[in-house]
Amino acid sequence: MRRMRPLRLVSLFLFAAVSASPSDQRQLNLDSFEFIWTTVHDQYWDPTFGGLNWQAVHDELRPRMERATNMAEARHVMREMIDRLGKSHFAIIPADVYADLDEREEGSGPATTGLDARVLGGKTIVTTVDEGSPAGIAGVHTGWEILSIDEVPVAPALRRITNLDRDSTMLELHLARSLEAKLSGATGSEARIEFVDGEGRHVTKPIERSEPPGSLSRFGYLPPMHVWFHSRRVAKNIGYLAFNLFLDPAHIMPEFGDALTACADCTGVIIDLRGNPGGLGIMATGMAGWFFDKPDQRLGTMHMRQAPIKFTVNPRLPTYRGAVAILVDGCSASTSEILAEGMKDLGRARVFGTRTAGAALPSAIDKLPNGDGFQHAVADYISEGGKSLEGAGVTPDVEVKLTREALLAGHDPVLDAAIEWIHTRK
Amino acid sequence: MRLCRSFMPLFLGVLVCSAGWAADEPLPKAEEILDKFVEVTGGKAAYENIRNEKWTGSFEFLGKGIKGTVTSYRADPNKSLTSMELEGVGTIKEGTDGQTAWESSSLQGPRVKKDEERAFALREATLRGPLYWRKLYKHVETIGQETIDDQACYKVVLTPEEGKPETQFYDKKSGLMVKMTATVTNPMGEIPTETMLSDYKEENGLRQPHKIQQKAAGLDFLITIDRFDYNVDLPANTFDLPADVKALAPK
Repeated sequence: MRRMRPLRLVSLFLFAAVSASPSDQRQLNLDSFEFIWTTVHDQYWDPTFGGLNWQAVHDELRPRMERATNMAEARHVMREMIDRLGKSHFAIIPADVYADLDEREEGSGPATTGLDARVLGGKTIVTTVDEGSPAGIAGVHTGWEILSIDEVPVAPALRRITNLDRDSTMLELHLARSLEAKLSGATGSEARIEFVDGEGRHVTKPIERSEPPGSLSRFGYLPPMHVWFHSRRVAKNIGYLAFNLFLDPAHIMPEFGDALTACADCTGVIIDLRGNPGGLGIMATGMAGWFFDKPDQRLGTMHMRQAPIKFTVNPRLPTYRGAVAILVDGCSASTSEILAEGMKDLGRARVFGTRTAGAALPSAIDKLPNGDGFQHAVADYISEGGKSLEGAGVTPDVEVKLTREALLAGHDPVLDAAIEWIHTRK
Repeated sequence: MRLCRSFMPLFLGVLVCSAGWAADEPLPKAEEILDKFVEVTGGKAAYENIRNEKWTGSFEFLGKGIKGTVTSYRADPNKSLTSMELEGVGTIKEGTDGQTAWESSSLQGPRVKKDEERAFALREATLRGPLYWRKLYKHVETIGQETIDDQACYKVVLTPEEGKPETQFYDKKSGLMVKMTATVTNPMGEIPTETMLSDYKEENGLRQPHKIQQKAAGLDFLITIDRFDYNVDLPANTFDLPADVKALAPK
């Protein structure tokens, strides 16, 4: 429901091809190709590669890599290599992403309009408008349909993605990323967005993009990203907690704990993970710690080639003992899925919303010899209930879909369902 | 003093080692190898002279762009406090007061270590560990030789009273420990770790490794130690349990 900020910003920062690589760049690209192949060869959790002949992939693609004359071609071949694995959390992050963001580090990052959108029933619908954001000030309302951004119709690109990913659990995530890429831009730049409002009128709004909310966080070779957390009461005895990424634990974890403590007497709390693409996996167990008073409970197990790593929950004081509802959607991925499914498996939370992205593989990011980042999954992940989340996602206990009508009426059906359930727990 | 210690069990590491038996050469007893290590790193008197130790350094996850700083204190007999500042994560602390072994971070909150993990932490915290191997391990045995980074080494297995055997590798020429393997047991499971020790330098009468590279769970973790100080003035409460740990500790 909230603005999705992809953990992997690849789709937001695909740069145009640069001029022909010099010979040293060509060698660096070849070294990068070999680095990727070797890393997967040595670290992929399944030494059989799911039946894929990894050596044959190398031998087939290496000649094409040698013929690549520029960075775009080189990245295309490298992406093709990792795509053959057919798993999430494999990506090439162009070096430009780091340089671009480094230059704009001072309070920056991709600027936003303050609205979030999802594809509902084949239409691009505004699902969130941040209070006080440029979109909010411009009078944009949830439920409005987006027809075009900067005079480019959104439907054709979304149709292409839908055709490509029709059978993938990651379809909603890819659609949302595509929209996010179009909606974001440089600070101060203007997005000209054509809407259909609640009365069916076509409305075009020039909306200036502004700094995203939250503070800029860095972790390893992840591109710097803005991280925010907020909490409030959505009813007298129901707390609501939301955050956009599992990053910046030095700030997010205490805020999460403080919010629960402030709601210690609440009948229930709602953790909104919609649009949250994940982050540091260990934050899931850290957050779960506030909901359990018995040790040695696990959200799941990460299966690496070297050893299984248990996602064991460390109980934290004070234990929150009320009801817990977790909200998810197709853009809840990775650590969000680990937390949601683990809490569900342990019988400690009821999950509301729609199926998650099914992209739950723990991963690491290395710097390649050519300066690009290389994200690669290092483990399979099995939730405590025995379910592999990759390609399957978290199935909510209560499936609730957003509708344009509800959004136009100012309702959030998923949140409403969670509130109603908590009220029954009194 | 025992710098083969495991800072973050997920992030420890191994280096390449190739087996290379010298078949006919009689193996020295483990006792001789361990006592020689005490001699070549400063001698019994130098170890007995220290009441506490402080070291500072930096660390990084190799190839991952994640860095930080570390400060560690130890005091007689097995008290410790290590504080790591990890970029993008915050502070991770662990320590012992000689009885209770613990760790605390914003990620996971406070936690008291139990059983094998506690025993391992207390062994690691022992200030004069190399000198007291007879107290720390019930059995030691030289089981062979291996070549590690072109150095011929003796391979010694040390079995503690509580916990799994550890294997240490000592350079035949210098007598210095250059590698250690162990299985770290913690709530995340049993994680095989390998640690390489190098860049031994003498400071204040003791030779200590200043580079420690650890591998575990596919991650490579390098600690570079800037300096060691001994017999420093430490506040009396340095090793006291933090309040949130104390609340969890066995009464």
